[in-house]
Amino acid sequence: MLEAAGFNVTEAATGLAATEAATLVRPELVLLDVQLPDSDGFEVARRLARQDHGAVIVLTSSREASEYGERVTSGPASGFLPKDELSVAALRRFLGDDAR
Amino acid sequence: MSRRLTAILIAGAVVTTGLLYVAVYVPWPGQHSVTVTGSVWASTTAAVALAFFAAGLVAWRHWPTTRIGLLFTVVGFTFVVPAILSNLHNSLAFTVGNVAQPFYSAPLIQLGLEWPSGRLRAQLERGLVAVAYCWVVGYNVIGTLFWNPRTNGCSASCPANLMLVDGSNSVHNAINDAAVPVSVGIGILVLGLVVRHRRLAAGWTRRATTPLVWIVAALVAEGVVQGIGNLTALPVSGFVLNEIVDVTLLAGPALVVISLTRTHRAIAAVGRALVGLSPAPAPDRLREALAGALGDPALELALRQPSASAERYRDTKGRLVDPGHPPEGRAITPLDSRGDALLVFDGSLVHEPELMGVFVSVATLALEQSRLQAEVASQLEQVRASRARLVEAGDAARRRLERDLHDGAQQRLVTLSLALSTARARAEGLDPELKSLLETASKEAREALVELRELARGIHPTVLTETGLAGAVQALVERSVVVTTIEAVPGERFPAPVEATAYFVVAEALANVAKHAPSASARVAVRRVVDRLEVEVSDDGGGGAAIESGSGLRGLEDRVASVGGSLRIHSPRGHGTRVEAVIPCL
Repeated sequence: MLEAAGFNVTEAATGLAATEAATLVRPELVLLDVQLPDSDGFEVARRLARQDHGAVIVLTSSREASEYGERVTSGPASGFLPKDELSVAALRRFLGDDAR
Repeated sequence: MSRRLTAILIAGAVVTTGLLYVAVYVPWPGQHSVTVTGSVWASTTAAVALAFFAAGLVAWRHWPTTRIGLLFTVVGFTFVVPAILSNLHNSLAFTVGNVAQPFYSAPLIQLGLEWPSGRLRAQLERGLVAVAYCWVVGYNVIGTLFWNPRTNGCSASCPANLMLVDGSNSVHNAINDAAVPVSVGIGILVLGLVVRHRRLAAGWTRRATTPLVWIVAALVAEGVVQGIGNLTALPVSGFVLNEIVDVTLLAGPALVVISLTRTHRAIAAVGRALVGLSPAPAPDRLREALAGALGDPALELALRQPSASAERYRDTKGRLVDPGHPPEGRAITPLDSRGDALLVFDGSLVHEPELMGVFVSVATLALEQSRLQAEVASQLEQVRASRARLVEAGDAARRRLERDLHDGAQQRLVTLSLALSTARARAEGLDPELKSLLETASKEAREALVELRELARGIHPTVLTETGLAGAVQALVERSVVVTTIEAVPGERFPAPVEATAYFVVAEALANVAKHAPSASARVAVRRVVDRLEVEVSDDGGGGAAIESGSGLRGLEDRVASVGGSLRIHSPRGHGTRVEAVIPCL
């Protein structure tokens, strides 16, 4: 879906793989699942922010944001998208370039 | 002691005392009247005899396992019977009465040496008692052979001494003079042994022996004075000295009274000790109370060691106690039928069956009570722990179920929803009916997802595990249809069962407000007070709620109790409802 919309997509299966991939590809946007096999999205978001690649971090989960309370807003992530609301348009809004 | 024997002894005592007065007051031929000294002598003799009879009966009854009662009775009879006989105007009776007159002193010596246990402890004591019997009998029989009553101490109208061999009196006087140092010597030996008894005895025996030492000392002193009076001329008459001895003898039966008073005081003290004990005293505290009650500071309580294969007991100071071999001077008795506890006490108390009967019963009761309390407390603790485990297991199962829903059905619904959205986007410009169908399907999938999330949250709120009580209460309040203010919620984390319990109190209370008073407003306050979490949810609705009336509140009460907390509802009709829970947070 994203590739069809013109994004270059690199997938990472774990939090560790995600931080390693981010160093390599320097992404504009990281779509981060809260529930990961090795840690959780909040922790990975903090690690990514410390690496300071300037990527926009968007958390996602099949749960709602309210299930995670303040953890969503207190971290470095720019926002939260429930998985069923994922769309190219919604992600573009986080990049601030609705025109692309 | 049987009732019949008691009756016989009482009748015997009354009859013999009566006979004494008859013998004294019926004048001999040639006698005009009874003298004053005769009356006084008869009365003191009767008093001593009756006192010994009474003490014998009482001692027999209270210490049936000892010879003390028998010895008192024997002294009573040997004291009064010769007195009667020597006052009868019959030569045989007169002779026997005079020979037997001092015989009472032999059982009296035995009584002094056996008091209070009723046993002769050493070879020396047994020997001394044998010597006393032989001496008293032998010296009086021999002395009587040379005693002519009509010229020595009695009037001319006296009956004849049938045993008289030589009436010149000089031999008789010589025997009497020679006997004084022997009699005094025996008395001093007895005194020495009684003093030694007292010194070696502890506790009960020592206290019982103390007055005896004084009595024996007084009798020996009086014996010495009498002996000196025999040898020289004292300004005091023999009659007065005899009366002093009789009055001193009266102190003997008083020993029994003193001892029994002490027994009864101890029985009362045992009762008081039980009343004063806490419901479940520790063994050392129980030992202290029992020792105080019995006046036996060395009293010990020995408990069976639970892991020991053989019968092993240890006292409260951790020393091994062998039930078959009590320490020197101590006695051991089991305290209960199961043989779990032993009492190690002052050995002389085995002769106090009444006291020890009461004492062992009271001690057993106290011990049983203490054990029962401990058992109940331990069972209660087990039930508490198992209830907490059940609730924790339930919570864990709910967490698992919520996660399974999230990882399974919820993920599939998300994927389905996304696929339907994509399909709908691709169907743009194609068959409008297909587009409408895909839109409906997409909407249904989303609604199913919302419902599933709601269900999962009801099973276990992820926000509680993720963010703790503060976030979870915030989420609850945000979703509630009731206008709710959060006054306080601590941001710190607590053990999972504590957080879950506090959360369910708030959730259930807010759900109740929504159900019964949806237009009311509510306030939530959760505060940590030292080591407790105090949860309060109040509303300004119609009130009238009670734990008994709703299964929800009842379940909540159980839930709070499972972590050792308590739940209270204040809900006067028309004045709102306040649900208060206090939950220990450790």
